[in-house]
Amino acid sequence: MLTHTTISGISTALVNSGISIIRLSGPDSLNIISKMFSNYNRLKPNSIIYGKILSNSGEILDNVLVSYFKAPNSFTGEDVCEINCHGGKQITVEILEETIKNGASLAGPGEFSKRAFLNGKMDLSQAEAVIDLINSKSKIQSKIAVNQLQGAMHSKITELRDKLIELMAHIEVSIDYPEYDYEEVNVLEVQSLLKYELNEIKNILKSYEEGRYLKEGVNVAILGVPNVGKSSLLNNLAKYDKAIVTDIEGTTRDIIEETINIGNIILNISDTAGIRKTEDVVEKIGVEKTLKKLDEIDLVIYMINADKKVNETDIDILSKIQNKGIKIVCVINKMDRIEKSIFGANMNELENLKIKDIVKISIIDNKGIDELKNKIVETFNKNDFEINKDTFIVNSRHKESLIKAEQLLIKTVNDFDKNSSIDIISISIKQLAEYLGDIIGANVSEDVVNKIFEKFCLGK
Amino acid sequence: MEYNSDSYDVVVIGGGHAGCEAGLAAARLGKKTAVFIMNLDSLANMPCNPSIGGTSKGHLVKELDALGGQMAKTADTTFIQSKMLNMSKGPAVHSLRIQADRKKYHIEMKRILEEQENLDLYQAEVVQILKKDSKVVSVKTKTGAIFNTKVVVVATGTYLKGRIIIGDVSYDSGPDGIFPAKDLSQSLIDIGVELRRFKTGTPARINKRTMDFSKMEPQKGDENITPFSFENENNKEILNKVQTDCYLTYTNENTHNIIMNNIHRSPLYSGDIKGVGPRYCPSIEDKIVRFKDKERHQIFIEPLGESTSEMYIQGMSSSLPEDVQIAMYRSIQGMENVKLMRPAYAIEYDCIDSTNLELSLEYKGIDGLFFAGQVNGSSGYEEAAAQGLIAGINASRKIDNKEPLILDRSQAYIGVLIDDLVTKGTNEPYRMMTSRSEYRLMLRQDNADLRLTEIGYNIGLISRERYNYFLEKKELILKEIDRLKTTNLKPTESVNKKLKELGSSEITTTIRLNDLLKRTEITYDNIKDLDENRVSMPKSVTEQVEIQIKYEGYINLQLGQIEGFKKLENKKLSSNINYDELKGLSLEARQKLNKQKPLSVGQASRISGVSPADISVLLIYLNQNKNNIN
Repeated sequence: MLTHTTISGISTALVNSGISIIRLSGPDSLNIISKMFSNYNRLKPNSIIYGKILSNSGEILDNVLVSYFKAPNSFTGEDVCEINCHGGKQITVEILEETIKNGASLAGPGEFSKRAFLNGKMDLSQAEAVIDLINSKSKIQSKIAVNQLQGAMHSKITELRDKLIELMAHIEVSIDYPEYDYEEVNVLEVQSLLKYELNEIKNILKSYEEGRYLKEGVNVAILGVPNVGKSSLLNNLAKYDKAIVTDIEGTTRDIIEETINIGNIILNISDTAGIRKTEDVVEKIGVEKTLKKLDEIDLVIYMINADKKVNETDIDILSKIQNKGIKIVCVINKMDRIEKSIFGANMNELENLKIKDIVKISIIDNKGIDELKNKIVETFNKNDFEINKDTFIVNSRHKESLIKAEQLLIKTVNDFDKNSSIDIISISIKQLAEYLGDIIGANVSEDVVNKIFEKFCLGK
Repeated sequence: MEYNSDSYDVVVIGGGHAGCEAGLAAARLGKKTAVFIMNLDSLANMPCNPSIGGTSKGHLVKELDALGGQMAKTADTTFIQSKMLNMSKGPAVHSLRIQADRKKYHIEMKRILEEQENLDLYQAEVVQILKKDSKVVSVKTKTGAIFNTKVVVVATGTYLKGRIIIGDVSYDSGPDGIFPAKDLSQSLIDIGVELRRFKTGTPARINKRTMDFSKMEPQKGDENITPFSFENENNKEILNKVQTDCYLTYTNENTHNIIMNNIHRSPLYSGDIKGVGPRYCPSIEDKIVRFKDKERHQIFIEPLGESTSEMYIQGMSSSLPEDVQIAMYRSIQGMENVKLMRPAYAIEYDCIDSTNLELSLEYKGIDGLFFAGQVNGSSGYEEAAAQGLIAGINASRKIDNKEPLILDRSQAYIGVLIDDLVTKGTNEPYRMMTSRSEYRLMLRQDNADLRLTEIGYNIGLISRERYNYFLEKKELILKEIDRLKTTNLKPTESVNKKLKELGSSEITTTIRLNDLLKRTEITYDNIKDLDENRVSMPKSVTEQVEIQIKYEGYINLQLGQIEGFKKLENKKLSSNINYDELKGLSLEARQKLNKQKPLSVGQASRISGVSPADISVLLIYLNQNKNNIN
């Protein structure tokens, strides 16, 4: 209804695996397939057909299985075709490009789910979890997404919200029926409930910070003076993992320059500092501005030349990054060109700064790269990447509501004293219930009224 | 025999609290108005509690007064006890309630309608509303008189096919023994109005002479009386009124046993009553069945007036048979020898589904047909009066081709009331409660004039004189807040001595007076000595100053909430949208949205069955439409 375009995207992870799937959704799906699939005339709804994918010039790209689901009986509710090809990245991307040449538009992140949602195939919270599932880039991530889909967080938030609503019902009764002999709300109880809620919300938010590494990866910036080898290191680390999809013209490049898998950890090497564009970021935009850009960064890989002395800018910026509490791995590059006197002095400088994680590498000789990878893994706590059943991963919309709730709780607990009037406090409590209700999607005032009549006996 | 009688701009059917306000508002706005009532001696009757106001209902009355309604003024002149409830709590929930002299209220209100220019009162039963095409054109009375009219306001309360039930006895009747309106229901159905059936009830009236008040706790009125009407703020006669007591007593184990032993004789449990009753005024048998663990229930005894011995037994409405009622009332302490003058009863009546109304209170699809009061599925005199006023105003504005007055949820309890009825609908008689309002710190009873006088003036129901007085008050408040915000207090010895006396902590640096006033133990009055340049001001001004400064933080929090609310309220939905075409919507949402045609996404979000996911779809749709237009 909302759109008549046909979109195409790789719906499996873009890694070298056995099979990859390219999915098309939209009114033109079958038509596009017919231009590139040898056995298109045998495709019927809900069938899977074996055949060849041909390029425009008639060249055979791959032997594939193509399935066809007719609207509305598909995942998105639109006509859907899926090409199951052999899992090489090169092939997968070539077939994707072929669908685009034949008239499909590249699917944006989560766009299949969005269409499924808009066509009434799933509700908002399911859609969000599925989008997370799709976006998850490693095995652990998909486990968490499944967990959320099943509602671990949902039930925790519901519990917290129910407690608030029960309290509100109690407060409302004492306000709306002032002459009835119900016990007035105990101020101390209110206070202890608020503290409990605050604690729980803090825990959930903490699990977001922990879960963030799993779900969104570690945000990394590579810094260092000009010509220290930042681009070379980036290219070396990213050797096999370049995000090819983003090279297709007309797609929006994410702020993430490269995504690299090291073990179970995903590194998002960010272009925040413009490593690619300007070789001398720090000098160009200044130390302060560079630091400001590091707000979202979890780890800085700071590069130093083995054959040049650490300068004042290096020291200044390193100490400031440390003050911000960002993890640092110091990389001494060009060990192939080492001059001992300078190296010793450099090590002393780093020691003075109390930087412990130092790795010596030579990109030209491809030495020390594995050691660097190990060091990166080591800088994070093991449990930063473990999931247990209490992990409530939240997405950014949930996080926003939770942070609002946390701030309001802190303020309310602080404002609270024995003279606080309960109906004034109830303004905060109601707002809190609304923040939590926003996450699970529910209306507050209706619930309170229902609770009142369930629990209290009133009337003329 | 039919005959053609007079022509009117506005015809109001019903002379209860909704009908009186509707008629007065229309007449005062210059419309030629007729009010029809089954029995003139029951005009503005109080067939249930002899009281006006209470939590959130008091807010409605104050708002009605600020807009130019009548109820507040008549309540002020006829009360026999006045009490501000919830004084131990914050200002947002202070609520004014009066015990009215029921007969005096009726007489006073009748006089006001009789003396009102442009208004004619008729004792006549309207049996038919006639429409031409989709527009109402006239009404017909039982005696055959046809009155042409431009607009009709239906305010029939509980009279439509009223049926009274007392135990196993039931008969057709309106409240208080007045004839029911038997014919109008069919006429409403004939012109396309959907009807449903609700139920409510009232306790017995007893004779004061047969009560032993020495066994009960007297309940006194306030020493410092607050009038309902902002016009009466300085009215000495009202402020110095001598008040009458109410009394408090309790049910006991014996009462509960009598009820449980006879519960099979209750029509509520035998299935004889089919109307939907309200949860908030359950009958005593309902309370005892539902809340078995409660050892006793409170009973308030309220006088019906100064010229009668009749008293109202609040807390004991019932539809049990008369003999059980007598036994049950006599089991209560202080009521051992009580004589019933009128038994408790339940009443069933026809009402409409309020979701078929526009927010203006006009019926969807029938031009010129307005509904107000209990017939809309509400309950309570105050809820009725508030709707009556709005219906009267909007009936007049329709004739003048003006936009209807629609108050939103952030402006007034009246807005909450009407939005709840029209948007959410109700499955039981709807009672106003403070918990129904999202923004109650803004919707206080003390600032109703600040919120609404301007609107009342622009509509034409507030006099120029009163408006000028209001502007002066507003100016004084702003200036005084400003002065306190710029007046410094230095930490001198005498200042700190005074603060210590007040139980407040000492100051070490210079502090602004408004910041000092934010301390819980500090009031505007108790720091008078520290405030050298203070000029004497009316209490209504200093009260506002104090509240606005003291609760500034929370007021700002609510203002933020209101801003968020307005965002969705301002996303308008055209009435031409066919929601069947929006595939992402749930089936239920599609049906509800197509039926109700909400004016905004905000209103849509309050319709039951419309989920947050549905709202996302609406927002995406609006966005795409905007893009298409661009």
